[in-house]
Amino acid sequence: MDDRYSRQILFSPIGKSGQEKLRSKHVLMIGAGALGSGNGEVLTRAGIGKLTIIDRDYVEASNLQRQQLYTEEDVREKLPKAVAAEKRLGAINSDVSIVSIVGDATPEMLEDLMGDVDLILDATDNFETRMAINDLSQKHQIPWIYGACVGSYGMSFTIIPGKTPCLNCLLKKIPIQGMTCDTGGIIGPAVQMVIAHQSAEALKILVEDWDSVRDTFTSFDLWRNQYTSMKMGRAKDEGCLSCGTSREYPYLEKDNLSRSTVLCGRDTVQIRPPRQSAIDLSDLANRLATLQYEVKANPYLLSVEMGEQRVVIFKDGRGLVHGTKDMSQARSIYQKLLG
Amino acid sequence: MFFAHLRDAVGEESVTLELSGKTVGDAKELLSKQYRLNLDTAMAAVNEEFAGNEDVLKDGDVLAFIPPVSGG
Repeated sequence: MDDRYSRQILFSPIGKSGQEKLRSKHVLMIGAGALGSGNGEVLTRAGIGKLTIIDRDYVEASNLQRQQLYTEEDVREKLPKAVAAEKRLGAINSDVSIVSIVGDATPEMLEDLMGDVDLILDATDNFETRMAINDLSQKHQIPWIYGACVGSYGMSFTIIPGKTPCLNCLLKKIPIQGMTCDTGGIIGPAVQMVIAHQSAEALKILVEDWDSVRDTFTSFDLWRNQYTSMKMGRAKDEGCLSCGTSREYPYLEKDNLSRSTVLCGRDTVQIRPPRQSAIDLSDLANRLATLQYEVKANPYLLSVEMGEQRVVIFKDGRGLVHGTKDMSQARSIYQKLLG
Repeated sequence: MFFAHLRDAVGEESVTLELSGKTVGDAKELLSKQYRLNLDTAMAAVNEEFAGNEDVLKDGDVLAFIPPVSGG
């Protein structure tokens, strides 16, 4: 067994004691898409003790361009990503205990899993879930590693409760209409770069080399050759509702989450974002049209075909997903468009 | 300096403006009007250090806007 990890043990910041620590640790990974595939594979190969993976989606052809765990057969069988990931990771390293959950990572569901988790890895594709993860991280004092990518850009930041600012300090509210992979595209290398940053940070935390954990916010653009490292000393907000002196954990409150309802009698789910926001409909319509989506728009709403569903987005951010009664699937499609 | 999709919206990686004495918040307002951007949730850094809206800019400062990215 040591033979398998010999090259990792030879790396002095890890060594034998670090390898033993890795084997005793449990990582909760939220998302099994591009970032989830990569982080899942690195950590599984590195020999962590347990990996829990949650994902609500299934493997599709367009995933194969960058989601390294999946194959054409997974696409043919329409396997849920969490299941396909568990299969593949299990074949890579049978020592690692892998638990897969096919489902929506809601705050209630995640809260139940916090018990014996040492680290939360962000492999999500929307801010609502990230803000919930952020609140749970503060509430249960568990570090988490933010990672995100789109186009040729990527970014990552390690959040340690009690030590660093949290995501709410930085954003103060859920951003709406971020660029998503379905509207801005994405290249494999950008994904790989974020994975490298996140998984290196993960290894440091799991072997408890706290001094080596990176305290800057990194972002990079691999096509335009830019790298930035932002010092975060002044980012912590004492008034932050998630990590400050008077905490409310707002993103664990149902009122602050988007609400989805199946519309009675219609094959439609309505999604209401957490707060009303003016969406630039013409900008979104143009971007979608450039990407060859079939779009129709007027000053009040736009309508776009997404696979078997049709999505209508209103100016105030509300969405109607026609062609499904599955709230989880509808939310997923809505977030593909608006982040 | 503009990163990620802000750079695409502006059309350039950076612009040079006379902003000394103004705050980061002032700069955000100015730039969002001039380039039709939403800088509401973008993070601002002055000389590679996270900056708040009340921070005052000096001659020679490099002000960067990094929008939160959500893909994964």
